[in-house]
Formats: sequence, structure tokens, C-alpha cells
Amino acid sequence: MKLDFEEVSVAGLAKSYGPTLALAGVDLRFEAGTVTAIQGANGSGKSTLLWLLAMLAHPTRGEIRYGAYGIGRANGLRARIGFVAHQLQLYPGLSGHENLVLSAKLHDIPYAEKRATDLCEALGLADYWNRTVRTYSRGQAQRVSIARALLHEPRLLLMDEPATGLDVESTASLMGLIEQERQRGAIVIIVTHEAEFAGAVADRILQMERGRIAELRT
Amino acid sequence: MSVLRAAWLVALKDLQLELRTKEILTSTGLFAVLVVTLGSLAFYTDPVSSLTVAPGVLWISILFCGILLIGRSWALERENDAVFALLLAPIPRSAIYLGKTLSALILLLAVELLLVPLCLIFFQIEPSGIAMPLLALVFLGSVGFVSTASLFSSVGIRTQARDLMLSVLVFPLVAPALLAAAVATRELFAGAATAEIVGWMRILGAFDLLFIGFGIWVSRHLLAET
Repeated sequence: MKLDFEEVSVAGLAKSYGPTLALAGVDLRFEAGTVTAIQGANGSGKSTLLWLLAMLAHPTRGEIRYGAYGIGRANGLRARIGFVAHQLQLYPGLSGHENLVLSAKLHDIPYAEKRATDLCEALGLADYWNRTVRTYSRGQAQRVSIARALLHEPRLLLMDEPATGLDVESTASLMGLIEQERQRGAIVIIVTHEAEFAGAVADRILQMERGRIAELRT
Repeated sequence: MSVLRAAWLVALKDLQLELRTKEILTSTGLFAVLVVTLGSLAFYTDPVSSLTVAPGVLWISILFCGILLIGRSWALERENDAVFALLLAPIPRSAIYLGKTLSALILLLAVELLLVPLCLIFFQIEPSGIAMPLLALVFLGSVGFVSTASLFSSVGIRTQARDLMLSVLVFPLVAPALLAAAVATRELFAGAATAEIVGWMRILGAFDLLFIGFGIWVSRHLLAET
């Protein structure tokens, strides 16, 4: 069952990988219709925070709440989470369209093929959607990965370096898309190294250092 | 979405990839031919001794082909971290395990369609009267092996020592099922009636249910965090 929520909050969130403390107790709240950019040096805990929010890892300490629900309702919550990871997580042997159809079916979206086709057309992927992902440039694969994260109209959209590999035109299009998601009421959280991009799309910018929030700018 | 529907979608995706590249079937099929040919050349002495040697060659071939096939199947998931497309979907974790097991079983059975007749020909074993019980034994043995090997291959997503894990964990676990299958096949080749090997089939069936049940239960935890 799909579960909906209007905000995501984390309290005392910490994550260790063996002796390495990746996240050292973070308290945050993200509301619907907002875009948050997270910046910080390599190893500052940005991506770990996204992975925890995507429920791809369990916190060592602390709690994540998706509205009224905790991570115990993972399956229902996953239906409302979209994730663009740094590794594109696409099957190289399938075409972009087939990757999208697979995800649409796994999300139980009615008329999965049509939804995938419509999204490919809307995002300008039609030129290469039937080629296998193996033949794509980084930017083309990135756009398919972004399309997949949007297939099921997620409430929580997590993006790890979404502008990587995109040309100027595609980056502008991505900014427009993020704005559309904000207006739709999504909670958008973006990890990026690009200060200009973060400044252009985000309502607030978090600076992370050594697993903690060092600065918050609005 | 139900576990079975999600598992079917995962399996279909694997079969779609394989139909496109035919990579797993080609490499595993050729390997199967090689093992059976080498086995028959090395161990065949006369039609009587071949009846005791053939079961060993057959099940060693199935074991090696299965390991090769399942390893490749999970390697496709690691490429580009593609498995996260499944882990991010709102489907039960056990559906991923079941889907991967189902696709691997279908591919292994396809290879066995080549392997079993080849083994019978090379070891000069008359198939009439033993074909159906032999196919049942091969099917039951393959289910047990694939369900166990798939489970521990899924652990390989998180560890670099995946090959070591396969050999250390899978071989001892599937040994009883493989031994039962090999002994039953030997009895069958030696002229035992189907009724005489039904007991072995029951043992194999019990192993299969145990392995699949264990796999479904454990995969929820093994695939919970990556």
C-alpha cells in the first residue's frame, strides 16, 4: 500500500561503517514543496544521508520519520521515494525505455509502458530510448536515471549529483524539472558540489562537515 | 504487489537480458559440453563401468554450470549497481531472491536439456525407461542447488569475497542434496525401478522446500541493507 507524507524528519541520525563514523547525529526537517541542496567535501556524509533517507541503509542511531510513518513501513514508503544515485543503477543490457518499463511495473503503475513512453517523450529521451544503456553517454544515462526517479511521482525525490555529465541545455532543463517537482509538492533533496546549481534551485543549502550539519543557509 | 508477481517481473527481466545477449547460455552450454566430453574421455572404459561413472560426471557438470550461471546472473546486478533498481522498488526483498532463483533455474534447465542427452550418449546409457525419473531427479536436484546458490550470491552484492563465500557456504550446504541426487541417479542407471528411487526424490523434494523456505526468510535480512 502506498503511504503518503507531507514531511520528512530525522532526529539524532548517525551511521557508522565499522569504525568510520559517516554521519554523526543529524537533526533535520524537510517539508513538501521545498528544495534542499546539501554540499560538503568528499566523505562529509552527504551521500550517506541520502542512502539512509532512501532506506538503502539502516541508521546506526537515531530516527527517520516520513510523516506519521517510520522505516518499519519501508515497502509502502518506497512507493513514494525517487532516487537518482551517483552510480546510475540502470541495466546496461536493457534500453532506457525497458529500464523505465521495468521500474514502472515494479512500482505497479497502471499502463507502465505508456507511462514510460510518455515520460521519455516529455524529457526528450526519444532519440535514444530504444538503444541499450551500454551505448549511452553519461549524460544520456543520467537523464534516463532522472526519468526513472520521476516515474511514480514521488513525494520524496533524492538526487545525488544530478547535473553530472549534463550539458548546459540539459542542466537548464533539469532545473526546470526540479522547479516543477517543487510546485507539485515534492520534497526535493539534492547533493551537489556545484554551488551555482545549488544556489539556483534550492530554497536552503546545508553545508556538511564530518558527518554533521556545519551551516544552513536559506 | 504480491511477492510472486514481483518475483516474476525480476525473472522476466533476467530472461529478457539473456535472450538479448545469450551470454550465459552460450558460455555455460559450451562449458557443459566440455566437462561431459572430458569426463567421458577420461573415465569411460566399458559400458558396465560407465553406469557408475556417468552420475558423477553429470552432477559435477550441473554443479559447475550452475555456479558459473548464477555467478554471471548476479554479476549483471552489480554492473552499474543495477540491483538498486530492484532494491528501490516497493517490493518485498524475498521477491528479488525468488525472481533471481527462478530465472537461474530456467536457464540451468535449458543447459541441462543439452547436458543430460549428451551424458547419456557419451556414456552409452539407454534412455528408455529412465527418461522421466532422470528428468525428475535432475529437476529436483537443480531446484535445491539453485535456491541455495542464489541466496548466497545475493550476499555478494555487499562483499568482495563473493567467490570465497560461494565455495565456503554453498558447497557444504548443497552437498546433502547433490549426494542424494547422485546416488539416486546411480541407482537409476544401475537398473533400479522408479518406485525404488521415490524415497530419494522425496528427500530431494524436502531439501528443496527447506532451501527455498530458508532463502525466502533469510533474503529479507540479507538484502535489507546494502
